[in-house]
Amino acid sequence: MSAELKTRVQELIDSMINPAVAGHGGFVELIDVQDNRVYLQMGGGCQGCGAADITLKAGIERLIKEEIPEVSEVLDTTDHAAGANPYYTPGKA
Amino acid sequence: MPTSTSRLLLLLPTTTYRTEAFVDAALKLGVELVCASERPSALQELAPEALVTLDFKDPVACSETVARFARRRPIDAVVAVDDLTTVVAAAISERLGLKANSLSAARAARDKHTMRRCLASTGVPVPRFRLIKLADDPAALAEGVEYPCVLKPLMLSASRGVIRANDAREFVAAFRRITAILEDAVSAPADEVHQALLVEEFVPGREVALEGLLVGGTLHVLALFDKPDPLDGPFFEETLYVTPSRLPETAQDRIATVTRDACSALGLTEGPIHAELRVNDRGPFVLEVAARSIGGLCARTLRFGTGLSLEELILCQALGRPLESLERERRSAGVMMIPIPRAGRLTAVRGIEEAAAVDAIEEVAITMHPGQAVVPLPEGWQYLGFIFARGETPAAVEEALREAHTRLHFDIE
Repeated sequence: MSAELKTRVQELIDSMINPAVAGHGGFVELIDVQDNRVYLQMGGGCQGCGAADITLKAGIERLIKEEIPEVSEVLDTTDHAAGANPYYTPGKA
Repeated sequence: MPTSTSRLLLLLPTTTYRTEAFVDAALKLGVELVCASERPSALQELAPEALVTLDFKDPVACSETVARFARRRPIDAVVAVDDLTTVVAAAISERLGLKANSLSAARAARDKHTMRRCLASTGVPVPRFRLIKLADDPAALAEGVEYPCVLKPLMLSASRGVIRANDAREFVAAFRRITAILEDAVSAPADEVHQALLVEEFVPGREVALEGLLVGGTLHVLALFDKPDPLDGPFFEETLYVTPSRLPETAQDRIATVTRDACSALGLTEGPIHAELRVNDRGPFVLEVAARSIGGLCARTLRFGTGLSLEELILCQALGRPLESLERERRSAGVMMIPIPRAGRLTAVRGIEEAAAVDAIEEVAITMHPGQAVVPLPEGWQYLGFIFARGETPAAVEEALREAHTRLHFDIE
């Protein structure tokens, strides 16, 4: 089951998610799928980006769950503190 | 009353530090989120029902855009996370008929001169102040000012562009420096509000920050932070925030009363407020009341009831949900906004593990990345990072934060 889910999630990442985040210099890598939970890592402009959580929760997770309802959760394993070129950097408002 | 399937519009500037905390809070509460930023999200075309772009510089246009959106997908509440979006949130809420601060109150709190005038007219203690125009001759202005004074822009935050002047020469230098900051910092420097500065008396004393939540016009004090490092200028870089306050209870009560009066004078009735005050033997003086919660990552110092975050409280209040508890945990807590030692390019940060190993330290969060330009105040607009501590006493928290800071080393070239 996990292997099949993994394949479907990877296809979604390849066909829809990565082409979209590439516009901000980012990419998403599928690390694993276990117990219907998807583990992702964000890189490039997504790593350390101030909007990474929006991209993940309101974008990526939403899309994955809509297309693959068996997925219960999408988890970010990225070390955002190590991001060297985030697309958006936070600052004082 | 909105249910657990409530839909909430979060106004998240791309520069905010608060995204993760507010998004996590919404998820914990089971709230459906619509996230709006001033620049498009990478996934907006794939998730148009959840990701929206709004021009935060135009609150009226924002309210019309959201009104059209809300016809398809009703919005139950709007929350602003930073200064940039408080007026927009009020405009949208008014357009949608949601319970929130009025637009006029949000505007009053957003503009430091309007706020001062409003507070002074109702007898809330504030520093003496006057408005000066960038088009005026600073040398002539300098002759008519009492010293020491503080010059500050009307709409920047976190002490950006705030400079103390002790005499006419320093006044002119500060004037010119802030003018340059405004040219660089704001997207519309020609706007009237950015063509003026506030000049106010320097009020000696200790500075405190009050974090509160307005519910139907009643201010609940969530936390009172001491700022143990003196803020005497010439620049006012905030470093330490420690709660609970070690001021005498009578002084704390007076601070709360003055802050309530300030909120009432401004017409603020709903949502978070972050107030900054100076306290001396004449009592508290209000420096600012912002209609939003504490900035940067500092909210991580606050936990309520059974472990709720400040962001969860804010979202619950906005949705009209019952507030489980507004009592802050009993332990002392604090944060250091790591001071920027000098300008340059950050190449490395050393000692993070050693700093995190200090007793009572919970987290060391470096928010700048290697290669990033580091700019100190008054021009600087980004935090180097934060250190968080929890302990049995405010003194222990302060000591831990200072010790952890000594273990950090920033390589800046």
